[in-house]
Amino acid sequence: MSEVVRQWMPYIVIFNFAVVALVLISLAFIVVRRQLADVPDAVQNAAEYALEWFVQQARDIRPDGVMVIAPFLASLFLFILFCNLLSVLALPIINIPPTAYYSGTLTLALIAVIGISVISARFRGLTGALQNLIWPNPLQIVSRVSDVLSLSLRLFGNIGGEFMVILLVTKAAPYGIPLIIHALGLIPAFIQPLVFTLLTSSFLSEAVHAEEKGQQEDRRREAMRVKPTPPAPTP
Amino acid sequence: MHAILLVLIPTLTIVPAAIAATLAMRKISHAAIEGMTRQPEVAPQLFTTMLVAMALVEALVIYCLVVALMVAAKI
Repeated sequence: MSEVVRQWMPYIVIFNFAVVALVLISLAFIVVRRQLADVPDAVQNAAEYALEWFVQQARDIRPDGVMVIAPFLASLFLFILFCNLLSVLALPIINIPPTAYYSGTLTLALIAVIGISVISARFRGLTGALQNLIWPNPLQIVSRVSDVLSLSLRLFGNIGGEFMVILLVTKAAPYGIPLIIHALGLIPAFIQPLVFTLLTSSFLSEAVHAEEKGQQEDRRREAMRVKPTPPAPTP
Repeated sequence: MHAILLVLIPTLTIVPAAIAATLAMRKISHAAIEGMTRQPEVAPQLFTTMLVAMALVEALVIYCLVVALMVAAKI
C-alpha cells in the first residue's frame, strides 16, 4: 500500500462506507420497483428466505417488536457483508474494505450498542433502559463497554487480518496465488456479519427482557388463576 | 537483540492463543457435529449456536492478534 493511501486512510474509510450505503440504497430501490410474483423465482426466493430468517430472529426476541428489530438486524448484516465483499473488487481505492480498519469496525459496534439502548428505551421507557444499565448490578455499564470492544475487535481481527494477508501475498506473488487467498477470505466475509448480527440480537434480547421475567410469571399465574376448570357438578 | 525480540514477542503472543483456541474449537465442533448427526432436524439451530460459540472463543485469539500486531508495528 502506498504512502499516499495510508495518509488518506480515514477519508477512504468514510468514502467506502458511503459507496456501500449508495449500493445498498440503489439495491433497495430496485427491489421495491420489482413486481413480486406469486410463484417466486430464484432471486425472490433467496431474498424471502433471508428476510424470513431475520423476522424469525426478531420474533424470538420480542413478538410485538418485529417491525423495529428485524430492519435493525438486517441492515447491520447487509452493511457489514457488503463492506467485507468490497475486497474482491478489482478497483484501486474501492477495494479497501472499511471493516479492515479499526475506526470502521468501532463505528459499527457503537451503532449496534447504541441501537440496542434505543430499542430497549422504546419498549421499556427511558427509565427502564437506564435502569437496565445499573440493575441488577452496576457492572452492566462495564458489560456494555466490553460489548463494544468485543464486537469491534472481532470484526477487525478477522477482516483486517485477512486483508493484511492479501496485501503481503500480493506483494510477494502478484499473479495467481492471491486468487486462492481471496477465495478463502470469502468464508469470514460471510460468517462475520452473521456472528455480529447473532451477538447483537442476543445482547438485544438481554436488554429488552431483563426485567420482564417476573412480570411474565405474574401474568401466567394470573391467567391460571382466572380460568380454573370448574368442578364437575355432582348429581 | 532488538530485532530478535521484535520477532519473538508477537510470535509468542499469538501461538499459545491459537493452540488453546484450536483445542476449544475442536471440542465445540465435535459436540455440534455429534448433535447434528444424531438429530438432523435441529441442525440449523445447532449450526448458528456453534457459530456463536466459535466466535466467542475466537474473540480471545483476536485480542492476542491485536496485541501482537501492535507490538509488531510499534517497537
